[in-house]
Amino acid sequence: MRRAYFKNNWVAAALVAPQLLIIFVFFYWPTAQALYWAFTLEQPWGGGNEWVGLDNFRSIVEDEHYWNSVGVSIVFALCATALSMGMALTLALAADRQLRGYRAYRVGMIWPYAVAAPAVGLAFRFIFNPSAGLMSHLNAIWPGVWDPILDGNHALAMVIVAGAWKQVAYNFIFFLAGLQSIPRSLVEATAMDGAGVLRRMIDLQLPLLAPTVFFLLVINITDSFTDSFGIVDTMTAGGPARATDLMVFKIYEDGFRGLDYSGAAAQSIILMLLVMVLTFFQFRYVERRIHYS
Amino acid sequence: MKLSTIAAAAGILALSGGAASAEPIKFEYWYGLSGHLGSVVQKTCERFNASQDAFEIVCVGQEGYAQAVQNTIAAFRAGKHPTIVQAYDAGTADLMMSGEFYPVQKMMADYKIAIDWKNYFPGIANYYASSKGELFSMPFNSSTAVMYYNIDQLKAAGVSEPPATWEGFEASLKKLKAGGQACPFAYAPSSWVDLEQFSMAHNVPIASNNNGYDGLDSKLLFNTTLHVKHMENLKRWKDEGLLQIRTSQGGLNARDSFAQGECSYYFGSIASHATVNAVAKKGLHWDVAMLPVYKGVERHNTVVGGASLWVLSKKSDDEYRGAAAYLAFLATPESERFWSENTGYIPVTRTGFKKLMDEGFYSAPPYKGREVAIESLTYTEPGPLTRGIRLGGFIQIRKEWMNEIETAFAGKKTVQAALDTAVERGNAALAKFARLYKGKALP
Amino acid sequence: MIERTPALNLLTHAVLLSGLLILLVPLYLTFVAATQTLQQINQIPPSLLPGDQLLSNLVEAWTRSDFGQKFLNTMILAAGVVVGKIAIAAITAFGIVFFNHRLRMLVFWLIFITLMLPLEVRIVPTYAVAANVLSPFQTILDVTGVSWLVGQLSGIELALEWNLLNSYTGLILPLVATATGTFLYRQFFLTIPDELVEAAQMDGAGPLRFLWEVLIPLSRTNIAALATIMFVYSWNQYLWPLLIITDPSYGVVAVELSRLVPDSNTTGGGIPNWHLAMAGTLIVMIPPVLVVVAMQRWFVRGLINTDK
Repeated sequence: MRRAYFKNNWVAAALVAPQLLIIFVFFYWPTAQALYWAFTLEQPWGGGNEWVGLDNFRSIVEDEHYWNSVGVSIVFALCATALSMGMALTLALAADRQLRGYRAYRVGMIWPYAVAAPAVGLAFRFIFNPSAGLMSHLNAIWPGVWDPILDGNHALAMVIVAGAWKQVAYNFIFFLAGLQSIPRSLVEATAMDGAGVLRRMIDLQLPLLAPTVFFLLVINITDSFTDSFGIVDTMTAGGPARATDLMVFKIYEDGFRGLDYSGAAAQSIILMLLVMVLTFFQFRYVERRIHYS
Repeated sequence: MKLSTIAAAAGILALSGGAASAEPIKFEYWYGLSGHLGSVVQKTCERFNASQDAFEIVCVGQEGYAQAVQNTIAAFRAGKHPTIVQAYDAGTADLMMSGEFYPVQKMMADYKIAIDWKNYFPGIANYYASSKGELFSMPFNSSTAVMYYNIDQLKAAGVSEPPATWEGFEASLKKLKAGGQACPFAYAPSSWVDLEQFSMAHNVPIASNNNGYDGLDSKLLFNTTLHVKHMENLKRWKDEGLLQIRTSQGGLNARDSFAQGECSYYFGSIASHATVNAVAKKGLHWDVAMLPVYKGVERHNTVVGGASLWVLSKKSDDEYRGAAAYLAFLATPESERFWSENTGYIPVTRTGFKKLMDEGFYSAPPYKGREVAIESLTYTEPGPLTRGIRLGGFIQIRKEWMNEIETAFAGKKTVQAALDTAVERGNAALAKFARLYKGKALP
Repeated sequence: MIERTPALNLLTHAVLLSGLLILLVPLYLTFVAATQTLQQINQIPPSLLPGDQLLSNLVEAWTRSDFGQKFLNTMILAAGVVVGKIAIAAITAFGIVFFNHRLRMLVFWLIFITLMLPLEVRIVPTYAVAANVLSPFQTILDVTGVSWLVGQLSGIELALEWNLLNSYTGLILPLVATATGTFLYRQFFLTIPDELVEAAQMDGAGPLRFLWEVLIPLSRTNIAALATIMFVYSWNQYLWPLLIITDPSYGVVAVELSRLVPDSNTTGGGIPNWHLAMAGTLIVMIPPVLVVVAMQRWFVRGLINTDK
């Protein structure tokens, strides 16, 4: 644990004040209002509201489709994170070897991060289109094997792949930076001790990469809960039959398209609590095992 | 000498002062159409600004009807809303119940602009009118559902006329399939076509209280009407390979499948008429016809989709004046012609339509066939069940219908069970809406 | 890096190449779509080979959307967010990590929680705040009776108003409020050894000098990574600008791009100008790609040079 601190706590207060001020005005104040709606029946155009206490929560929790969306969100978060982090780590380890053409690979891998969401959705539609895309060739051989229009699992797989795709570039940047920050001298010393590539990965690189892994894990999981709206909106609109009805999508659909502000607010509270619990667990149990220096 | 010079100077000053103060009064209009349609809306704004200099309309596209309504609500709550907003059918119930709008019929009367309200097609006007017939919002882009069919493919299968009944439609599907057509019918489940337009044409109710017009305590009824049989037929046709499901999410939607000549039929809005024209494969011979009805059922009028223009409350007198001028401008025959030429939408007034007919607008491609939509809208005078739909939470209801139908088509439930669930969940949405506006009545 | 066995090299290349292909296929399809005509792009099956319409599509997309002004606006937005984010996140993380006061963890969690509620969900009240940024303070003053007091004493009625709609400030400030940067800096600052801090203290350096002379130079690579990410993020921002900008001269590229994308939600028919939409995507993609390419060279090189 850290022992060396600076003493002047007023300086600390001044340092954190700007960010706190901004998040108070632009996050906490509006959020408080939005969350207040969760306990009332709010008319969209602002004509008035009626206090209903926990009624909104009760009707959400009793709704089986809500639990469906919670389940779908968890599956999505875990799969997309595992897929994108796994792939990014593999690619970063390979790129770190700095073979010929390494720079080109590095640039190419980072490109997807710069692409805007509508383009991602369209491009993946072309790939996954069961009757006309790349996957249609599979369907020509085994008809009906790929059917995201009616088969919920296929649709979810499609959304997971699209979501992971965008994240791979982001994770790759951080993994590569983390790997490259391990001093060469250390790596060479380990190699001279007779450790092979795999051994070095397990004993040296991964442990030193742990803070980065933790950071990315938290960000990836949080983002897959909160940032995945665009992908679902352009690709599946929550269907078929709610198979890709992520919580954040459901909130937006019910609340803002459907003009049910109270229900959306209640769902938002639950979403926030869920993400908080998940993050708390990660901090408590995973961060413990990371050595920072 | 001096006095007259001063007087002359004062006169000039007064005139120039007057000219300087004739700054056009600005007001905002937020619309939901996007893409090509959005750019045509922008053009109507430019035409209005060019036609006079007392007012200047600032038109802002909002990328979708839902987005337009949402953003307007956000702005309204902060007091920064536009004067006019283009709101779609499903989004009107909340607006209506909030009362935060200036009924257009009243506004035009207040600002002494003469509009012949009887000139509007009843099938269109009634959707946007109070229970007493006073128009709340200005009809603008109206469309209705029609059947698109491929003339050549039908002929090749021995079908010389587009079917007028569903039984005839099924027979034609079988003939097409027998003749080797892999996709006789490109189908995309749509509550607007399969439930709403269908129920109107067959004069069966979607909900009690005359589809919600008579009160907030309405209950959905579509799991007990002819609609059930229709959905069961569609499911059966899917299982028999007589139709293929083509949605945007799956890549090529129904309209584009039809336009590429892959499928012989598709059902959609007349507003897609221009689109199909633009993207159709070369040499595609196609046309539109009215929706079929079941044998033995008397055909009734269908209703509009699209959106209308609402004038919101809490704006200044000047802005209302400008809004009235813009809406009056849109109601002129020239504007209607401009709109009909550049988009697939149909004119909303009788005189507008008649003028186009007389000019031979509809006698040649690419506009030929759109008059079918008017015929469908005016087949009969709107009755209590074919006036339109006035239900709260309608967006949720449509979503429930869609989810359940997808489940049924995936074979996980029977159609009846699916519709029963949709009705049950839809009724919950209706009850919530009624509770939300407790104590208020439908205007 | 150390071994140069051919087998391992081959494996490495294979992994990298297949990864690259997987990542770039969607981009290739975007490119192909941008080169086709309206007819070609709606064909079944879609052609996988590029057409010849690239230049005309690009020109059409550019003129239709008036990208010139929008590019400038988005540049200002992105630059503002990057600078603001880096500065604020650095000083906040510093304040959390290097001082030992009891509220430390609370402050960190307060900031971190802002990641957990997406903007889509709180957009309506956030708009009300943007319309009058001082409204929270106005309400607080009203509720605590201060404004009444001021009114009694001096006769001045307090009506604070600062409208951020249709302004660069309104675009930038809410985006600066997120927690990613602070979290990133915190992780990095936690790896700074105590010895460095003690050495600085023994030299008589106060916290601010330590921050400026020691920490910031060490953080170069993190700054580069954060700058890249924030630039791309704010460049592609769509939802917030759509809501608060109604004056076209303040428009941003992502909103303009979505105007090109055909709308499949209306009951009517828009012409599916996917070829223009994809051409627009290519145009819009250029600055972030350039930034990414430039920055990644810099921050990785910087990393290699610092040996801890």
